[in-house]
Amino acid sequence: MRDRLLSRWRGIALSLVGVVAIVWLAASGQLGLYIHPRYFEFTVVMAVLAGVVVVAAFAVVPTGRADASGHDDEDAHEHEHEHPPAAPRRRGLDLVWAAAGVLVIAGTVVALLVVPPSTLTTATVDQRDLNASAAVTDSGATENLVGSDTASFTVKDWASLLRQGAGDDYFAGKSATLTGFVTPDQSDPENVFYIARFIVTCCAVDAQPVGVPVYLPDWQQSYPVDSWVTASGGFSSNPSASSTQAIAFVPAEIEAVDQPAQPYLG
Amino acid sequence: MTSDLLAPRQAPPSRRLAGRGLVVGAVLAVALLVLRSVTAGWGPEALPDRLRDFVTLSTSVVIESLPFVFLGILISIVVRFWVPDRVMHRIMPRNPALRRVTISLLGVLLPVCECGNVPLARGFMMKGFSVPEAMTFLLAAPILNPVTIVTTYQAFGWDDGILLGRILGGFAIANLVGWLFSRHPQPELLLTPAFDAACRVADGHDHDHEATGRQRSRLRRGVVAFAEETSTMLPALIVGSAIAGAIQVGVSRDVLTVLGGNPIWSVLALMILAFVIAICSNVDAFFILAFGSTFLPGGIVAFLVFGAMVDVKMITLMRTTFTTAALVRLVAVVGLASLALGFGVNLLA
Repeated sequence: MRDRLLSRWRGIALSLVGVVAIVWLAASGQLGLYIHPRYFEFTVVMAVLAGVVVVAAFAVVPTGRADASGHDDEDAHEHEHEHPPAAPRRRGLDLVWAAAGVLVIAGTVVALLVVPPSTLTTATVDQRDLNASAAVTDSGATENLVGSDTASFTVKDWASLLRQGAGDDYFAGKSATLTGFVTPDQSDPENVFYIARFIVTCCAVDAQPVGVPVYLPDWQQSYPVDSWVTASGGFSSNPSASSTQAIAFVPAEIEAVDQPAQPYLG
Repeated sequence: MTSDLLAPRQAPPSRRLAGRGLVVGAVLAVALLVLRSVTAGWGPEALPDRLRDFVTLSTSVVIESLPFVFLGILISIVVRFWVPDRVMHRIMPRNPALRRVTISLLGVLLPVCECGNVPLARGFMMKGFSVPEAMTFLLAAPILNPVTIVTTYQAFGWDDGILLGRILGGFAIANLVGWLFSRHPQPELLLTPAFDAACRVADGHDHDHEATGRQRSRLRRGVVAFAEETSTMLPALIVGSAIAGAIQVGVSRDVLTVLGGNPIWSVLALMILAFVIAICSNVDAFFILAFGSTFLPGGIVAFLVFGAMVDVKMITLMRTTFTTAALVRLVAVVGLASLALGFGVNLLA
C-alpha cells in the first residue's frame, strides 16, 4: 500500500507543484526570471498538458486502488509480483526512501512555491567574471555599434564599447541613460560601482553579468547593493585612483527604480 | 480486463472515488496557488544572497527541463500504449548493428532533448527494445534531432567543423557505446532491479492488452503510467537540479575559462563545464557561443557532444534506470571518446 502510494503519488504531487509554479509565474509575468522568453510558449503549453493529465490522475489513480481486488487492475498484480512480503531490513530501507521522497517534495514546495521569485544577485556576479561574456568581448559586434545611434544602447552595448576600448575620443561628449542593478567594483568598492545586468541565453543558470562602471564616491549611502537604479550622464576618464577601469560613467542624475519586468537581457 | 458483465456492478463505487479524487486534486491545486500568491509578497531579501541564488539557479534548471520531461513522458506513453509492437518491429532492420544505427536516428522524429529522452528510452525498453539499443537512442537522440541541429547551425554555421563534429561524433559515440554494451552477456543486469521487473511485467501485459485493448482502458493505463514515470523521473530531476545549482554557487568559473584557450586543457575544461552546467542540448550551442570566444573548436565540440549525453542532472535521471556500475562504464566510454573527438577536431581545425 505504501509502495503504491509512493510509486504514484510522489510523481503526481511533484508534477502538480511544478505545473502550479509555472502557470503562476507565467500569469504574473515572472517566467522571465528563470528562462529566456523564447521558451515561454512551449513551457506553458507543456505545463497545461501535464496539468490535464495530473487532474485525470486524481480521478483515475484512486480507482485503480479500489479495483485492486477486482479484475480490472493489472497493476495490482504487478506490485504483488514485484514485492513479496517485506523483510524487516528491507522495510527499514523502504522507510528511508519514503522519508527521502517526502523531503524532496517538501524541498520542491519550498523552492518553487514558498521562496519568493527573485533575480540573481551580486553573489553570482562575484562567481562569474563581469564583462567576460562574448556578448561584450566580440569585436565584430562592437564595430557595428560605433557610429550607431546611442539612444537605444543598453548596458550591454556600453559595456562592450568600454571593454573593446573604443577610446576617449569616442566617449567624449556622449551621454547615456542606463538601468541596472548596483554591484560594487572589486578594485575600488568605495567610489566605483557597476550598473549591471545579466545576459540570459537559455535559463538563469547560464546568466552572465555585464556592467558599466560608475564613479560616485560613497554610493553605498544611497544605493544598496543589488538595488535597481536608472542613471543618466556622460563618460569621462575614471577619477578613481585604484579602479582598474580607465573610463567611467559619471552620472548627472541617478535615482532608485523598481526592478523592470524583464530584468535579464537576451 | 473488466468484462461487460462486471462493469455495471463496479462502476458506482469507482465513479464515486474518481469524483472524490478530482475534488481533492482541485482543492490541492487551489491551495498551492494560494500558498504561492501569499508567499510571493514576502521580500526575497530575507534570504542570504548565496542561498537565494542557489534557489533561483536550481529553480531555473527545473523550470527549463520540466516541460521537456513532461513531453518525453507523454511521447513514451503514446509509444507504449498506442503504437502496436508489430509496427515497431516491422520497420526495424534485423541486423543488430543496423538496428542501432536506425534507432540512433529516431531522434529526428522525436525531437525531445536529453532529459525527456530518459523516460522515452524507458518506454522503448518496456516495448521490447534491448538495453544496448535503448542506450544508443539515449545518447544519440539529444544530438541527432532537428532542434539541436538547427540551433547548432544558427550558432556556428559551418565554422571549424563544429556542426559536423557534433553530428558525426555524437552518432559514432552513441553507436560505439551501443556496440560495447551489446557484448555484455546479460544486458538486463545493467538495469536497476525495479526497472527490470517493470519491463518484464509491461512486456507480458502489453501483449494480451493489445488483443483486447480498448481506448478507455488505454487512457487509464496511460494516466497511471504518467503517475509512475513522474514518480521516478521528477525526484531525480529535482535532486540533479539542486546539485547543478549548488555547483554554480560554490565553484568559480574563472579557472575553467582560463583553461579554455589551451589545445589540450580546453577540451577537458569544457567537458567539465558541460557536466556541471547541465543545460539542454537544444540550446547549449547558444550558451557556449555567448560564454566565450576564446575557446578552441575541439573544446566546443567536446562540450556539445559530452554535455548532451552526460551531465549532473542526466546522471541522476539515468540512475533511475541503469545500475551505478553500468553508468560508470557508460560515462567513462563517452568521456574518453569525447576527449578523443575534441583533440581530433583541434588537430584538424
